[in-house]
Amino acid sequence: MTEEKNWHTHRDAKNARLASASSLFNGKFAKTEDVVEVLNTLIKPGDKVVLEGDNQKQASFLSEALTKVDPERVHDLHMIMSSISCPEHLDIFDLGIASKMDFSFAGPQSTRVSQMIADGTMTVGDIHTYLELFGRLFIDLIPNVVLVAADKVDREGNLYTGFNTEETPTIVEAAAFHDGIVIVQANEVVDKLPRVDIPSDWVDVIIPADKPYQLEPLFTRDPQAITELQILMGMMAIKGIYAKHHVQTLNHGVGFNTSAIELLLPTYGEQLGLKGKICRNWELNPTPTLIPAIESGWVQSIHSFGGEVGMEKYIAARPDIFFVGKDGTMRSNRALGQVAGQYALDMFVGSTLQIDQWGNSSTVTNGRLSGFGGAPNMGSNPTGRRHSTPAWQSLKPDDDPLAKGQKLVVQMVETFGANKKPVFVDHLDAEEVRKEAKLANVPIMIYSEDTTHIVTEEGIAYLYKTDSMEERKAAIEAIAGVTPVGLRSNPEEVKKLREKGIVALPEDLGVRREDAKRSLLAAQTMDDIVEWSHGLYNPPAKFRSWS
Amino acid sequence: MEKLHFEYQNSTPVKKFAHVGVVASGDLEILVYPADGEKTTLDITTGSDGFEKVWQNVLDRFFARYPLNGKFIVHDFGATPGVVNLRLTQAMEALKDEK
Amino acid sequence: MRNLWLFPGQGGQNPGMLDQVDPQLKEQVEKWTNVKLLDTAEGYQDSVQIQLSILLLQIDQVDQLKKLGWQPTLVAGHSLGIFAAAYAAGVINKEDIFKLVTLRAKLMQECYPEGYGMGVVVGLSRPEVKKLVAEVHSDTNPVYISNQNSEMQNTISGKLIAIKQVLALAKENGASKAKLLHVPNPSHSPLMQKTADQLNTFIAQLNLHQPSCIYLANYNGHAVRSLKDIKYDLGNNVIYPVLWETMMQVALEYQPDVSSEFSPGTAFTKLLKAKTDQLHMVTLSAMSIDDADYLFNKWEKKE
Repeated sequence: MTEEKNWHTHRDAKNARLASASSLFNGKFAKTEDVVEVLNTLIKPGDKVVLEGDNQKQASFLSEALTKVDPERVHDLHMIMSSISCPEHLDIFDLGIASKMDFSFAGPQSTRVSQMIADGTMTVGDIHTYLELFGRLFIDLIPNVVLVAADKVDREGNLYTGFNTEETPTIVEAAAFHDGIVIVQANEVVDKLPRVDIPSDWVDVIIPADKPYQLEPLFTRDPQAITELQILMGMMAIKGIYAKHHVQTLNHGVGFNTSAIELLLPTYGEQLGLKGKICRNWELNPTPTLIPAIESGWVQSIHSFGGEVGMEKYIAARPDIFFVGKDGTMRSNRALGQVAGQYALDMFVGSTLQIDQWGNSSTVTNGRLSGFGGAPNMGSNPTGRRHSTPAWQSLKPDDDPLAKGQKLVVQMVETFGANKKPVFVDHLDAEEVRKEAKLANVPIMIYSEDTTHIVTEEGIAYLYKTDSMEERKAAIEAIAGVTPVGLRSNPEEVKKLREKGIVALPEDLGVRREDAKRSLLAAQTMDDIVEWSHGLYNPPAKFRSWS
Repeated sequence: MEKLHFEYQNSTPVKKFAHVGVVASGDLEILVYPADGEKTTLDITTGSDGFEKVWQNVLDRFFARYPLNGKFIVHDFGATPGVVNLRLTQAMEALKDEK
Repeated sequence: MRNLWLFPGQGGQNPGMLDQVDPQLKEQVEKWTNVKLLDTAEGYQDSVQIQLSILLLQIDQVDQLKKLGWQPTLVAGHSLGIFAAAYAAGVINKEDIFKLVTLRAKLMQECYPEGYGMGVVVGLSRPEVKKLVAEVHSDTNPVYISNQNSEMQNTISGKLIAIKQVLALAKENGASKAKLLHVPNPSHSPLMQKTADQLNTFIAQLNLHQPSCIYLANYNGHAVRSLKDIKYDLGNNVIYPVLWETMMQVALEYQPDVSSEFSPGTAFTKLLKAKTDQLHMVTLSAMSIDDADYLFNKWEKKE
């Protein structure tokens, strides 16, 4: 007779851990001051730990507590984080608590990440796109412990995560249904929640935080900082891309270029008679610069990855547009937002720090291993897509009976950055960074093959129309200004490319550079945006001129 | 502070005066007059030293596309090559309007 | 409130800058070091005078701020500035720091009587300058890339003849500025190994303490918390480039609320301003300690 195999070792281990810490709990609740001891007891060496932190919301109470655990008891953790944003996310490596990291984005900590990889303090699993990282939580990076943040929790342990639900449900699900331990920090304990975002059944431990979780207004752009050059590029994009391809569903990156476009829709877009024809359905964080377009009737719907500080009241008053619960507050969802961003959109428009001679782009520069946000998902062509839209169809090659459409992936850059460094380079710094950090792949943000358009102050390159790499390079050179790449361009070649419609200068599009004035923006100040919102938008302090 | 001078042989005569751009950090202003003689001349006063080669490249590229024959006075306050190109092409548009 | 304290090195000295310094401290320093501090234009022709006077000025300001209850979260010194930074971090006592810097200044003065120095290149990136340095460098005419003050401002150190060649190449390759500096030795390059050896011997017999805050190291641009790393920097920063740009990037990743630049000068605040508008900035050469105290209090309350 063979011995019966135990098929629930994970569950046994989880129960044993929770039992060993039971003196610290009252039901699911632990005391604020016991947080470090809770972590000391529940986390074991070598655990895979998801610490919730994205580019906006941070489980800051738990991440600070994690720096205070005893490295004798808790060490060699394998951290999984979509974003490395706070100093303490790396301090746990300095302190010997963690040793390995799988992540997507490290922009705010990119120098230290580079240094830690170089000196061996941190081993990197991989640098992922968001969807890969979320996906792997259910495949081969199943967490032992997850540390997440909630706005409110009721006495039963149900969670309200509201505007900033973001990736909390995804992380919690990966642990809750595979015997991981779910530890939640809560801003507030209340008798009744506005609504339940995550049921108490999925939650093991709740610790009231000493202060609310950290939240960054990441997508707020002050229109005062938009330049005439950005306005010109915005005009070209609207006429030469948005209108030309009838783009109805889209995402905008976080830069000023796209803010300019949002503020040009109600003015320049209106003049061109485009209302209702373009920019109707969005996957986008609730950026304040879109308020004038919403108010003038351009926008039908917006689904969001996350919230945005100051937009709460405005969103609550516009449930036709945003995704809002019965309680009147928005719900965001980063994982579903990225799925929508990759599969359901006609177009992604973003920006970058470098583009190489072939059209690959990256924000990883020397000494800074920043990883990427949503751009690699949204800025890639999902080859399995089936549904058709006019924009998608418009990129279909006409010489192949089996051809299908393509997503528009647009990079908008000025040829030189503010520091007068060329954006167009022969080789990305990322190639060097790959060697230094010993990565398997060059950290490219958006690949040349996925990039369909590049817009600069000189004009638009319609890369999807090129039929060889040589032609693609020539099209990039034609709009790359006096960068080392652009200097290779010659006038005859540019003339040919313009005739073929592969390159368009402003005059080819009927865009007058003299019209690129700030007065063309629907809102020129934060105050203007507040006015457009009928006083419902409440800018964060650092964006208010009167404070 | 640096003063630069460039000359070109261009075909399209400038027939009137044009003024574009602004006096502001990161920007520049350009005054364009009909040429004094046969040559196109540019006199540039710039706050950023050491960018002569970049100016040369910007001007070569601009005049290859728009061969305006005129007299250009430029006051630069640290504009990027992109902004310089914007102002030059705006001047080109302003001059074209007359025709 | 997270406060980043910045300590500049040589370059900003000016006659009369010690006017406001505690006279008792000045007297004490002169006793410890056997150097009479002149604080005059002629005096500042001499690098021992320069190094000790700047150190004195910074130590005096550190003492005053600490007396008012202020402590740094992060300290960063540029070259000579690391000594006041280490003092501010509680690593080394006052007498030892002045003796150490006296030795350093004298060793640096004596090591290369002539023919060596430093140059600066503005407008080229560090990899670009590195390439030019590699073209010129040889065993007989050594030249090294040294300090990284900002992304597009780097220094080179070595034999003057080689430095001049690199500067000429830099001009040809589009540098907006490429010139010799008034530094009579090839600081922050391997040519200073002997000086480093002697400093390390002296440091080995000092009684040093664990730092009370994060220290940004010149030699590798890392944020360090261990005495071992700081000790290494104090003795060896003369043979390494000052990776100031990297130090500042790392410092900013710790999300300071305030930067405070100690005297003399305001150069490092200007460099920081070009990188961020996310923190308050104080320059002690342009305001009194009382003014700084007032501002710190105001910002701390707002948090």
